[in-house]
Amino acid sequence: MVLAANLLAPNAGLIFWIAITFGILLILLRRFAWGPITSALTDRESSIQDSLDEAKNALAEAKAVQADNTRARREAEADAQRIMREARDAAEKLRSEEVENTRAQLRQLQEQAQADIEREKQNALNMLREEVAHLAVDAAGKILRDTLDAERQKKIVGDMLGDLSRN
Amino acid sequence: MIRKSFFLSALLLALVAMTAWQSAKASGVAAAGEEEELDPIHHSVDGNYLDFSPIGKVELPRIFIISSAEGGLSVDFFLTSTAAVERGGYKASWDATHEGGEDAAAHGDDGAETIAEPLGGYYEAHLAPPGGGHVLVDMSITRHLLFAWIGMLIVWLLFTRVAKMYKAGIGRETAPRGLLQNMLETLILVVRDDIARPAIGAKTDRYLPFLLTAFFFILTCNLLGLVPFGATATSNLMVTAVLATFTFVITQVGGTKDYWMHILWPPGVPTFVKPILIPVEILGIFTKPFALAIRLFANMTAGHLVILSLIGLIFSFTNLFGSGAGYGVAPVSVAFALFIYLLELLVSFIQAYVFTMLSALFIGMAVEEHDHGHHAELSPTH
Repeated sequence: MVLAANLLAPNAGLIFWIAITFGILLILLRRFAWGPITSALTDRESSIQDSLDEAKNALAEAKAVQADNTRARREAEADAQRIMREARDAAEKLRSEEVENTRAQLRQLQEQAQADIEREKQNALNMLREEVAHLAVDAAGKILRDTLDAERQKKIVGDMLGDLSRN
Repeated sequence: MIRKSFFLSALLLALVAMTAWQSAKASGVAAAGEEEELDPIHHSVDGNYLDFSPIGKVELPRIFIISSAEGGLSVDFFLTSTAAVERGGYKASWDATHEGGEDAAAHGDDGAETIAEPLGGYYEAHLAPPGGGHVLVDMSITRHLLFAWIGMLIVWLLFTRVAKMYKAGIGRETAPRGLLQNMLETLILVVRDDIARPAIGAKTDRYLPFLLTAFFFILTCNLLGLVPFGATATSNLMVTAVLATFTFVITQVGGTKDYWMHILWPPGVPTFVKPILIPVEILGIFTKPFALAIRLFANMTAGHLVILSLIGLIFSFTNLFGSGAGYGVAPVSVAFALFIYLLELLVSFIQAYVFTMLSALFIGMAVEEHDHGHHAELSPTH
């Protein structure tokens, strides 16, 4: 059939030319076009992938740093609170100690004063006793010098004792 | 060429342009001969001229390897067919069935009915060298060859230009820039990531250059067929056969031991089945590229034939019912032709994709390092 013959007519020359030129095109494009293009695409893809990985790592790092910072801040805050509390406690302790000391001192002073007063009182009593004894001796001397009878002696001693008790 | 009557810049514009073109063509045909029919086949097949109807035709160079009567081989080169006849002394004869004139039919050398009377240009004739020899191989630069070369040139220019951009760092360190680079990169990535990698896997890089070249060459040739005055190199069986042969050779050369084992001693079947299966497998080696060639050829030819037949309706109606019917059917024909034209635009991409994808699949099956646990499921005839 002419119709089929026209469409399907073999043409060795055309086959030859197409085979040769397509082969050349394939070799040339492979060398000058596909090589550079595909390698560039691969480079770009790997660089994009690297960038993404880097970004992911950087993000993770940043998060870690942030977590560290938060933790450090919390710790610092806790420290500050602790220090303040300690300082307050110390101050409180110091103040109570001071009060206690003062009280003790006052008590001590009071006790000392009482002791002093007691001693002075004792001294005064002792001095009084000595004075009384002295007077008694004086009185006895007078009695002896006047050689008085017993009644008179008794009367003199009695007077003296009356004087003394009046004193 | 009628079917290449408009460019797809805008649908409306295209419709108007095509209608205008039809009337121009109609007047041209009317001038050539009263009873002339539009022959779709004649416009689809290869030829030794460029058809710029109705402006004119440009003859293409003829190259013949001839075997003279004494048995010697020689090469003849003529710039045109006319030059071959007028200066080279070549004898011209025409197919008797072409463009009427069956009265003067005579038997030619090849047994087909041919006539010696000039029925058309020498570019449509069978040429025989002077002195009793015969043409051994016709190496002429035909229309389809020329358009295949134009396609190759376009692919070469486009991709060396884009490659230069990548070499300069655009697209390597930065984002791709401009329409051309973005568009081509998208297509390259489709071929690489959607076609080659799923089919071939680890060995993709070795076969990617062929797949890319085939894809863009086929696509460019397909689209050139839709350009006014263009011709579709991929609607020529010789061209598609060469492309399929490339796939075939690459597949067989890259075939692993497993691949040949599957063909020559299919695993996973009882021994008595193997004598049946082995011839089937061997046949399968050849049917795959054969199907590739036929599929591309048939798809690219069919669309053009449909468009030409639709346009041809105008002339058939004119011949049958008068010019009024011709003018009446023209808008319908043009509208349908426009639809098929758009379909062809789609088919251009689809067929380039299909050829590339199937090539990748065949190569992938041949170069695959099989997991030996799954022999029964993997057969190269899939």
